[in-house]
Amino acid sequence: MIEVSGVRKTYGDFAAVVDSDFAVDDGEVFGIVGPNGAGKTTTLKLLAGLVEPTAGSVTVAGFDASDPEMRRHLGFLPEESPLYEEMTALSYLRFFADLYDVDREVADERIGAALDRLGLDHRERRLGDVSKGMQRKVAIARSLVNDPDVLVYDEPASGLDPVTTNSVLAFTRELRETGKTVVFSAHNLYHVESVCDRVAVMNEGRIVARGGVDEIRERHGETTYRVFSDVAPAETPALAGLDAPTEAVGDRHRTAVPDMDAVETVREAVAAAGGEVVDIRSREPNLEDVFLDIVGRPMPGRYAGDLDAGGDPDSGGDDATDDRRSTEVAE
Amino acid sequence: MIDRLRGGGARARVALRRVLRVARWESSRAAGGVDRRTLAAAVALVAVAGGVVGVGVATGVAGFDVDRDVYRVGVDPASPYADAVAADPSLRAVPAREAALGETTDATVITVVAPSSDGPGDGPIAAARVDEVVVRATDTRKGAAAAASVREAIEAHNERLMRAEPNETAAFPLTVTLRYAERSGGPADGPTLGGSGGESATGGDGATGGESATGGDDATTADGGSAAADGGSDPAGDATDGNSDAGDTAADETRDTAGDTVDSETEDTAGDTAADEDEPGEATEADGPAVPPVGSGVFGADTTGSPSSITPPFPFVSLLLAFAFLVPMNFLIQAYGSSILDERTNRRGEPLLVTPLSPAEIVAGKTLPYAVAAAAATALIALAVGGGALSVVGVLPVAAAFLGATFVGAMFARSFKELTFLTVGVSVLVTTYAFVPAIFTNVTPVALVSPLTLVVFDLQGEAVSAGQTLFSTAPMTLGAGLLFALGLGVYREEDLFSQKPVTRKLLDALAVRLSPVTASEARLSRRRLRALGSVALLTGCAIPFVFVAELLAVAVLFALPVTVSVPVLLVTIAFVEEVAKSAGLYAGFERGVFDRSDAVAVAVGVASGTGFFLAEKATAVVQVVGLTDLFLGRAAFADVAGLSGHAPAALAALLAAPLVLHVVATTVAAAGAVRGRTAYAVALALSTLVHAAYNVGVVSLG
Repeated sequence: MIEVSGVRKTYGDFAAVVDSDFAVDDGEVFGIVGPNGAGKTTTLKLLAGLVEPTAGSVTVAGFDASDPEMRRHLGFLPEESPLYEEMTALSYLRFFADLYDVDREVADERIGAALDRLGLDHRERRLGDVSKGMQRKVAIARSLVNDPDVLVYDEPASGLDPVTTNSVLAFTRELRETGKTVVFSAHNLYHVESVCDRVAVMNEGRIVARGGVDEIRERHGETTYRVFSDVAPAETPALAGLDAPTEAVGDRHRTAVPDMDAVETVREAVAAAGGEVVDIRSREPNLEDVFLDIVGRPMPGRYAGDLDAGGDPDSGGDDATDDRRSTEVAE
Repeated sequence: MIDRLRGGGARARVALRRVLRVARWESSRAAGGVDRRTLAAAVALVAVAGGVVGVGVATGVAGFDVDRDVYRVGVDPASPYADAVAADPSLRAVPAREAALGETTDATVITVVAPSSDGPGDGPIAAARVDEVVVRATDTRKGAAAAASVREAIEAHNERLMRAEPNETAAFPLTVTLRYAERSGGPADGPTLGGSGGESATGGDGATGGESATGGDDATTADGGSAAADGGSDPAGDATDGNSDAGDTAADETRDTAGDTVDSETEDTAGDTAADEDEPGEATEADGPAVPPVGSGVFGADTTGSPSSITPPFPFVSLLLAFAFLVPMNFLIQAYGSSILDERTNRRGEPLLVTPLSPAEIVAGKTLPYAVAAAAATALIALAVGGGALSVVGVLPVAAAFLGATFVGAMFARSFKELTFLTVGVSVLVTTYAFVPAIFTNVTPVALVSPLTLVVFDLQGEAVSAGQTLFSTAPMTLGAGLLFALGLGVYREEDLFSQKPVTRKLLDALAVRLSPVTASEARLSRRRLRALGSVALLTGCAIPFVFVAELLAVAVLFALPVTVSVPVLLVTIAFVEEVAKSAGLYAGFERGVFDRSDAVAVAVGVASGTGFFLAEKATAVVQVVGLTDLFLGRAAFADVAGLSGHAPAALAALLAAPLVLHVVATTVAAAGAVRGRTAYAVALALSTLVHAAYNVGVVSLG
């Protein structure tokens, strides 16, 4: 449904997106995460045809993203969604349905269904008089008036209260069930983890990791173990060679270690101190751990000189052009 | 072919439908954006103001007679001069018995009646019995003006009586017919800006050209006699004749010749007017220079007939009414500019950009309601002031220019504060361009640079040719279209919501119309040639703005003596043209569209100069209305004027010379642009000097 190939977007000397490659399948929910300024929003604008790539190509629903016809198949929700505040929700949505040549009857049906699902009742109130959450819901409903195949949402839950956020995330999950392809960005990694099938992690304009959430976690996060003992482990030479900090938790001592061999080392150190291990727990990494790990790595710069001189983290990956075939992290 | 046409038609219908949808939405938004109470208050205010003015005009309390009842004049109701005073709207008659000079009157008409055997009597005094008339006035400026007005009123009264005389020969024993001959010499023959015809009217002006010196002299003689007899007799409303005195061109000549079959008054118009201004007491001395030497003393070189030294017959009422057409535009552009900027504020218009509508359709839809409102207001005003279709045709390009310039301003502005500054600037510029030249409607064809002149002509009931209409309306219409195209170039996400300074936005808007030119590419590759074509096209599109700027310069400098105006004009024109040719190149280098190399600078310089040269030929339209008959017109448009009558080789040289000039000067500027802002400024100054030197050479040779 979406093919992004070798895309680079520069503004003067600055590269907002550097050689980006990814694809999104029909009916998939694809998340893009990354710190501020990573290039997420620019990537979404490239998908929506709002900006043209400096190099490379973007295809959406079989159309080049610059083709106006593509927009008939696209619903876009920008990060900020100030509406025409003097209009009511209904007149606003009808106006956009008109622009997509949607019959009034069909439009009213779609608008009604979307607003019902989103729980928006104040359809005849001026948009300037409703809350930000309500405005966001109207903006989401607007993205659906043309019954698009592809939805591109930039931070759909940005600035919303937890209740509205959950409502929006649930709605996004439902969209997947109706066969829509959704690409969205978020700062909150929990949102991405709870909704997305696959994720691309961006940093400094580059996609530095992509794949299924579990796969990325497995590749970039490691299971850690916490060893609880009744005495602090003795400072044995073997333990000194580990990065295994110990801290007191109540009447116990907790030592975090990276693998089972280290657990054995700690057990020996505890025994040497005259105590014994009372509990061992494992901890799985979440996306946030992975994210922090990845974006903490040094990256080449994004200005013309840096781009020419520096390496591209994606370039080494043979599988970079087809992330469906492999979930290899491009580094 | 038919399928293609059908496809095009279908696309046009879809585009129209989209535009109308956006227009309908914009209309409802604009209407919804105004609070109902505010709207009601505004309507009430307009109604009250309109009602007051309407009632005032209807009852005669208010109107265009701004000098009504200015002077109080004591006059005996039985005096034959009472009628003269009563007929003049600026005078208010006070019965002689109530008159106290300096208290109840500004002037008093004392009628000395010859002794009669019948005694004084109670009835009206017969004119034949009047032995002497004395006008006494207070020793103040107002008293002097009142005396002058009384004298004019009496002259006008006498003129009416004479015209009412059944025996015309008895009333006007001498008839003078003025004929104006085409001046055959070059610019050096006469230093006047206004042309050639008026010298005869100044009387005794054989030295300046001799085109109708005899007539002029005769007229003066006759006038002198007339003045001696009755103190001058020009009717106040003889603006056309007055115009002939300022004297200009074939158009004026035609009117004058037709109108001056009996014209001993012709000379009086200028003479009296001038004299009245300086020395009211000497108004009957019509033999002096018809045009007072105002300003010529300062600049030293003028002799006669320069606009700096004439009092042109302003079509005051027509101008005032024409100005009324511009008033609604100022309100419209405020609403329109706000609407455009509102789309850019907080990225409000972003969702529109992801609809199937093109930016052009969005902008057309948003503009249409304001264009319709401008057309409706224009039509209503035309209806109200007695204008016709010509008025509407004349005003619509002005409306388009208002909207186009406002659109660009709103696209470039970063805030409503900046937009306000820009819209005020737009308003002042467009109003100046439209209004100032129109002041000279009856004086010179320079006035036709403004479409508003068509309105003045229309209100005066004068016919205008299709060529004149085209000349007046085309530059503004084209300019407005290009302004919209300029703004549309940045009606995209990347520019629409960015907060760049106006100058950087302008460079973006120019650069977006250019294609990349690289140093490594083959010189004659198709892609490179196409890219250079885009350079030539962009520069060519600047021609309407260059034309407008130059016409505005002509119109503004028109009022100065030629010794000042011509050098300034030549440098101004050189600067305007060099900026027009090189601004796009600078934008191309600054925005990275062109590789920064000298080879590329030369290539784009040649392309830009050539594009300008080709487009400049389009300005041959100035010949349609005879603007190049003027000295200043020849100076400004020498390249396209006077090409006929040359040998083919000379013609080729004449054509090649400006081409070489434009190419060389633009390449110089491009060589600076490739090196950055400071170098560009220096190179621009250098190219302007080269160009100005060329202009001076052309004018000298001309």
